[in-house]
Amino acid sequence: MRIFENIHIDWLGKRRIFYAVSLSLFLIGWITVFVRGLHFGIDFKGGTEIVLEFQKPVNVSTIRSYVSNIGLGNVELKTFGGETGVLARTELQQLPHNLIPRVVDHINAAIQKIYPGLDAKVIDTTASSVTYQLPNPDTTNLLVSKLYVAGFQTGKVSEEPTNTQMVVRVAIADWLKENLSKKVSDNPFKIIKEDHVGPKVGNELKTNAIIAIFLSLLGILIYLAFRFKFIFALGAVVALFHDVLITIGLYAALYGVIPGLNLEIDLTVVAAFLTLIGYSVNDTVIVFDRVRENLKIHKTMDLEELINQSVNRTMSRTILTAGTVLLAVLVLLIFGGEVLRAFSFTLFFGTITGTYSSIFIASALVLEYANRFQKKVQF
Amino acid sequence: MKELRFRIILIVAAVVLSIYLLYPTYLNYQNNKKIDEILAQKRIQIEKADPNISNDAVDTRLKAIEDSIKATDPSINKDKLKSLKLGLDLQGGMRVVLEVNTGKLLEKLAKNPDDTFKQVLAEAEKEASTSDASIVDLVAQKLEARGIRLSRYYGNIREDDSQIISDLNKSANDAVSRAMEIIRNRVDQYGVSEPTIQREGSRRIIVELPGIAREEEAKQLLQGTALLEFKLVKDPQFTISVMKKIDDVLAGNVSVDSASTDSASVAKNSEKPSAKQDTTNPQNMSAAEFAKKHPFFSVAILDQRSQTADAFVKAEDRDKIKLWLNRPDVQNVIPDNCQFVFSAKPEVVQNGENYYRMYCVDKTPELTGGVVTNATASIDPETNAPVVNMEMNSEGAADWARITGANVGKRIAIVLDGVVYSAPVVQGKIPGGRSQINGMANLEEAQLLAIVLKAGALPAPVDIIEERTVGPSLGQDSINDGFNSTLLGFLVVSFFMIIYYQRAGTIAAASLIFTILFILGALAGFNATLTLPGIAGIILTIGMAVDANVLIYERIREEMETGKTLKASVDSGFSKAYSAIIDSNITTFITGLILYQFGTGPVQGFALTLMIGLVASLFSALVIARVVFDYMVQKGIKISLG
Repeated sequence: MRIFENIHIDWLGKRRIFYAVSLSLFLIGWITVFVRGLHFGIDFKGGTEIVLEFQKPVNVSTIRSYVSNIGLGNVELKTFGGETGVLARTELQQLPHNLIPRVVDHINAAIQKIYPGLDAKVIDTTASSVTYQLPNPDTTNLLVSKLYVAGFQTGKVSEEPTNTQMVVRVAIADWLKENLSKKVSDNPFKIIKEDHVGPKVGNELKTNAIIAIFLSLLGILIYLAFRFKFIFALGAVVALFHDVLITIGLYAALYGVIPGLNLEIDLTVVAAFLTLIGYSVNDTVIVFDRVRENLKIHKTMDLEELINQSVNRTMSRTILTAGTVLLAVLVLLIFGGEVLRAFSFTLFFGTITGTYSSIFIASALVLEYANRFQKKVQF
Repeated sequence: MKELRFRIILIVAAVVLSIYLLYPTYLNYQNNKKIDEILAQKRIQIEKADPNISNDAVDTRLKAIEDSIKATDPSINKDKLKSLKLGLDLQGGMRVVLEVNTGKLLEKLAKNPDDTFKQVLAEAEKEASTSDASIVDLVAQKLEARGIRLSRYYGNIREDDSQIISDLNKSANDAVSRAMEIIRNRVDQYGVSEPTIQREGSRRIIVELPGIAREEEAKQLLQGTALLEFKLVKDPQFTISVMKKIDDVLAGNVSVDSASTDSASVAKNSEKPSAKQDTTNPQNMSAAEFAKKHPFFSVAILDQRSQTADAFVKAEDRDKIKLWLNRPDVQNVIPDNCQFVFSAKPEVVQNGENYYRMYCVDKTPELTGGVVTNATASIDPETNAPVVNMEMNSEGAADWARITGANVGKRIAIVLDGVVYSAPVVQGKIPGGRSQINGMANLEEAQLLAIVLKAGALPAPVDIIEERTVGPSLGQDSINDGFNSTLLGFLVVSFFMIIYYQRAGTIAAASLIFTILFILGALAGFNATLTLPGIAGIILTIGMAVDANVLIYERIREEMETGKTLKASVDSGFSKAYSAIIDSNITTFITGLILYQFGTGPVQGFALTLMIGLVASLFSALVIARVVFDYMVQKGIKISLG
C-alpha cells in the first residue's frame, strides 16, 4: 500500500495560506486565553483535592447542595471516571478562621462522647491544629488513641511519659469527609485519591515547568544548529513554539466544551508538552534531512523548488510516522483512563499541529530567511 | 551467516538479560497471587468462626498471617526487592513533602518569649508565607527595626546578631536531620516496604510510602515527636538464661499449657548445666539439626568470644524473631521487667549479609530524653576519636549521677522509639550532667547519635506542604487501563504496519515485542519505578518505535525504484535513513532528560520510560530488523514492502 506517492505540489508557493491558517488558530486560542484565562490544576494552583468513590451512582448536584453550607465557600465538584466518582476541590489551604470554632465544638463533642465530663482545655488553636491540655498522662494516651479510632488526626505533643497535651490536626479534607459522611449515610464512599499542594509548592512547580519548556527548546536549538545550519535550527524551534502556543490556545478554547474531557493544565500535561516538543521536531528533522541531502546533490537548484521536492518526497513518511503515534495516542485517549485524559489530548493535538508545522511552517521559514537576506543556504 | 553471528549473539544476549531481569517480577506476581489466595481462605475461615468480628479486626489478623508467611519464606521478600517496582499512583500509597516549621522552632527556642516577640514572629510568619525570605532573617530585621537585639531571646549577651542568626539557621537545619531520623526510624519499625525518605533543599523532606492503605496511620508516622529512653542492658547470664527458655519453647521442649511453665523450665535448666555449652555449640552437629533443636539460637547468633550476650540477627530474620517474641507461649517465659530490642541499623556485615544486634534491656527506662538539653558530635583532640558530648538539665543531671554511680561497668542503651542507637558502658559516676560517649566508628556515626539524643527533647516541628495519596483501588484501575491500552496500542500499530508494509511490516511488528520486553527489562534492571505516565510512555514508544521502521522502509522503496537490487536497496535504505533517525531520536531524548531533571515522581517515571524506550526501539529497528532483513536477503527470501 502506498500513500502520497509521486506528488508534485507547490507547497511553498501556498505558504501565505498556511501563515493565515496558523495565525487565525493562534488568535482564536490566545484571545480565549486572555478572555477566559487558562485553567490550572491543583499542581500549580495549590489547594486540596479529594476523589470520592461511592458505592452507588451519585448526582453531583446533590453532593454540591450538601457541601455548600459547610463553611468552605466555593467547593468545585465534578464527576471523576464513572457515575460513582466525584472530585471535590477547593483552593483553600487551611480551614477558614470563622470555621475553627465549629471544628473545635465538633472535637469537643467527640471527646465528651468518649469521656463524659472530662476536663479538656483548648490551649492553642491554629488553622491546622487544636491543642488540648488534659488532666493526666494516662487519659491523654487513651484519648489520643480513642479519638484516632473515631476518625480524628490525633497525636501527642511529646512522647515523654509525663505528657498531658494532645494535638488534633484539622484539615480541609477531613472536614469535608466528616460532613459528607453524615449526609450521605445511605451511600458510603471511599477516598481513592487525595492531593494537597501548598501555595509555595505550586508556584515552584510552575516556575520549573516554564524553565523546563525553555530549556528543551534551547537544547533542541543547540543540537540542530550543530547538526544542520543555524537557520534550520531556528526554523524548527519557531515551528515548535508555534505548536506549543497553538495547543495551549486550544486548551483555553476547548475548556469545558467537550463533556467528560477535563482540560486543566497539571504536571502530566506539562510532561505532554515537553514530549510534544521533543517529538514534533522529528518530522521537521525528516524534511530537513532530505533538504540537506538534496542541497548536496543539486547544488544549483532553486531553493524553493528544492524544498518543495524534499517535502513532497518525504510527505508519505511524515504522515505515516505521525499516523502511528496518533494511533497509539488515540488508544490512550480513549482507554487510558481519567488520569491520563488531558495528557493524551495534548499529545494528540500536539502531534497534529506538530506535523502540520513541520511540513508547512519550518521549511517556509528557512525559505523566507534565504529570500530576505539573499543568502545561499549550503552544506 | 557468519557476518550475522555477532549481531545475533548480541540480540540473544539482550533478550536473555531482559528475561533474567524480569524473572523476579514474574515470581513476585506468583507469590502475591498465592498469598492473596491463602488470605482469602483465611478470611472466610475467620468470618465463619466469628460472624460478629469487625472488619478492622479481620484485617489486623490477616496482616499478621501475611507477615508470618513472609517471615517464614525470605525468598518472597528477595523476589519483591528485585522485581519491577510500581509507582505510588499504581500500587497506591502516599507521597508527602514536609517542611520544617521555622516559626514554631523559633518560638520553642526563644528564652523568654514576650508579647513583642510573639507579635514579631507572627508578622514574620505572615510575610514568609507569601515570599521566599527566611523567617530567621525576617525576625532579625523586625527586631532590629524595633531596636531590640536578638540576644534578648537567643544565645547569650556577648554574641552579636550575625552569630545568633547563623546559630539559628543551624538549628533549623538540625531540625530537618532530626525529623528525618525520627521518621526513618518510625517507618522502619512500621514495616512499610521500600519507603523513600530524602532531603530536598535545606528545609524539606520528601517521604514516599508505597502501599499504605490507611493514610491516617501514615500521618501519625510523620509526626516530629519521638521518645528517647535510657535503659539498662541486662546481665549476660540473665539474658542467656532467658534466651534458653525461649529456645526451649520454640523447640517444643517445654509444654506451656499449664501454670508449671516456670518451674519446668527452671528444672530443665538446672538439670543439665554442663550440657549447656555443648548444645549451643553448632560445631557438634549439622546446621539443619542445630536449627531444629535450637530454633532461636540458629537465628539469634551469640558471639562466643564476646563478654556480652548480644545476639546477632540477619536482617531477613528480624521479622521472624519479632513474631516469635510476640507469641503468647514465648511471652510467658520472658520475665516481666525485660524486653528484647534491636539495633537501629545493621551493625555487622558478614558474607554480604547484614546483621542486627539484639539487646536484652530493662523494660522501664532509667531516664527519658526530655532531660537532654544538648548533644554535639566532635573529634576528641587527645585521642582523635569521634565523641558525643551530652548535656542534661539540673533535674536530669541529679538522676543521671545516681544512675551512673550505681551501674558502673554496666551498659546503658540509648533507645529511640524502641530501637537502640548505642549502648555505651558506664565508666564511672557522672556528676553535673555532662557526659561523653565514645566508641563510634566515625564522625558520621557520632553525628547521628547526637541527632538521636536531641530528638527526645527538642521539637522538630514539620508541616505537610504537599501530600498526594492514591488509594489501592484507583491504582488497580489504572494498572488495568494501562495494561489494556498497551495491548490495544500494540495491536493497532502492528495491524497498521502489517497492512501497509506486508512482510516488512510483520518484521516491524515483531521487533516491537522486543522493544517492549527491553523497556520492561531495563526498568527492572535500573531498579526504576513504573508509574501510570510511565505506562503512557510505553504506549507512546510503541507509536514512535515504528517511526524508524517507516523511515527505513520508505527509503528502501525509494532505492528500489531507482532500479537497485534488493540487497543494495536494503543496504542503502538502512544507511541513508540513519541520520534522520538518529537526529530525531536525540531531540526527543534531550527533552526526556530535561523532563527527568525537572519532573517529580510519576513524571520522572514517564521521562525514564520514554528515554529507555527510545534506545530500545532504536536497537530493535536498527539491529534486530536489520538482521532479519539481511538473513532474508541472503537466503533469497522475498521481502515485500507492500
